[in-house]
Amino acid sequence: MEKSSSKKISPKVIGVWRYGSAIGFAFLLALPVIYYSIFGFRQVHLWILLTVSALCLAVWLLNVVILPPLQWKRWRYSINQYEIGLLRGVLVQTETLIPLSRVQHVDTRQGPVLRWYGLASVTISTAATTHEIPGLDAELADRLRRRISTYARLADDDV
Amino acid sequence: MMMFEFRRQHPIAALTRSVNLIRGNIVTILVFLFIGAQSESFPFLIMIGAGFALLLISGVLDWWRFVFRVEEGEMHIKSGILVRKNLYLTKDRIQVIDISSGVIQRFFGLVKVDIQTAGSTSRAAMIEAVPLETAKEIKRLLSNNGASPEAGDAIQSDEKPGKVYGLPNKDLLIAASTSGRFGIALSILGTLFSQVEPVIRESNLFEYVINLLPTETDAVMIGAIIVVFVVIAWMISFFSTLLMYGDFSLELNEDELVISRGIFEKKRITVPYKRIQALFVTEGILRQPLGYCSVHIHSAGYGDEQGSGAIVLYPLIRRDKVNSLIKEVTPQYHVELPGLKPPTRAIRRYIFRSAFVLLLITAVLYYTLSLSNWFWLVPALSVWWGWQKYKDAAIGWTKTHVVISNRTLSKKTAIIQRGRIQDLSVSASWIQRFRQLQSAEVYVASGDHGSSFTIEDIEEQDGERFLNELSHQAVLEGEDAEKDQAVLTPLPGW
Repeated sequence: MEKSSSKKISPKVIGVWRYGSAIGFAFLLALPVIYYSIFGFRQVHLWILLTVSALCLAVWLLNVVILPPLQWKRWRYSINQYEIGLLRGVLVQTETLIPLSRVQHVDTRQGPVLRWYGLASVTISTAATTHEIPGLDAELADRLRRRISTYARLADDDV
Repeated sequence: MMMFEFRRQHPIAALTRSVNLIRGNIVTILVFLFIGAQSESFPFLIMIGAGFALLLISGVLDWWRFVFRVEEGEMHIKSGILVRKNLYLTKDRIQVIDISSGVIQRFFGLVKVDIQTAGSTSRAAMIEAVPLETAKEIKRLLSNNGASPEAGDAIQSDEKPGKVYGLPNKDLLIAASTSGRFGIALSILGTLFSQVEPVIRESNLFEYVINLLPTETDAVMIGAIIVVFVVIAWMISFFSTLLMYGDFSLELNEDELVISRGIFEKKRITVPYKRIQALFVTEGILRQPLGYCSVHIHSAGYGDEQGSGAIVLYPLIRRDKVNSLIKEVTPQYHVELPGLKPPTRAIRRYIFRSAFVLLLITAVLYYTLSLSNWFWLVPALSVWWGWQKYKDAAIGWTKTHVVISNRTLSKKTAIIQRGRIQDLSVSASWIQRFRQLQSAEVYVASGDHGSSFTIEDIEEQDGERFLNELSHQAVLEGEDAEKDQAVLTPLPGW
């Protein structure tokens, strides 16, 4: 993969991820409340409740505040005539190579939050796996989709 | 024979349909029977009768509503009792037409036709019971060489048998006794036991047996029960494998291979060579010490009931004969190349991964339940297991092939053609980055979805090189970096 031609995704995606995680991990904030409603906070329970609350809040904040910008910073994609390269992940960093001749179809997707931000994601499916490049400007996403499908058709002729 | 008008199947299809329905819901039916048998009330018998009547009626209706015809190289099937379904299978999309027969079909001199199409949105059609001539006619009309209906000799042309491999009886017995399909057997036993147990308990049989036994320690009792269970499970796995792989044959034709197996229930699988995505050799824990293994392939498109495309190419073969089998059957997978092993500093990660959870569980249970010291054997075994996993892990690649060997329970060696790779990844967790290690994963298409082969904790540079050297650019330029300083091992290594 040519590292030089690799591109970043839109920084606006940080906001999308923040909303997503804030809602997705909301159950963490409910845990101390549930504990309180069952055991109250007398004696030992007070300390357990405090620790649990602190831990839950820390994990929630980690996912909402700290991880999204790091994730964005790590995300890179690159496309040439033969391959799509994806580089992503904060704790587990993964680098993936998808030969264009194996691409079966490419979609763009836009959920309500993404639309609010004017973003879209590109989904690349092979016969075995599905990969997503999240958070591209809607227009760019569309261009990318067309480019990939053109390349994929060209690559198909080669094989 | 007129194939251009809608036809019904042989009426026996109504019966096979009902039998299939019963077989598909056998667990539910058994549970109902066991629960019902305890009540012994009259309505229950009526319910059973009504149930079976319903099954039969639905089978008959299904048969009545199922019509098919072949028109201008297209199979058209209308089916469905309440919702009418129209299925069109065009000749160009059809990849495989299998003609086989189950017990019922054979009894009436009929056959079953299985039509499979290609692609990720693969669809399949099954015609349950027709006379052999009709099946051959369908095959002739839908296969690409017998284009015109006048070409009468097309039937013979695709019946030309290629080279055929059988499975010797001795090997079949070894395969059956080492199949280790304990999981399935134990789950069958488990469900059976849970159903029968209340009946036994109510009939005082249990107390009777316990009173009969000398009052030994519980440990002996538990041990005996375990032994009995294992023996029965082994016997179930022995006979089920015997029935599954009995009468095995592997036939090589010009552009497809045909695998047929099974004693009562004949199963016939046709795999066009171009659909083979990967080949892997499994050395089961019971087979490895004896020097035996089994050979599987991954086939794209049409999967089995679970959607998996893994197919047994050859159920049992000596390790040293694998190479010659691959050379004859699938020569494109015959490779020998140097493999890289994970570095020695990865050993502790391998052991940690397989032992950590078990060690923790054992420790907690040991102190809370004050178990016998023998229980420490469990984590000790898992440490040894981790070491085995490390020993069997290796990866090697050339411009045309990737070979990965690893172990979960059985040792598995996969050979993949580079052009068949759907995607490949290397990844590293933060601990792995600290240790400068990487994991690599290769995806191939298999059945309705994909299947992946993984190797953990190879040297960081090796992982990077793996990705770079398999990229299109590198292969075009033909650069082949020398693999010095690395731990080398021959792959596939048989």
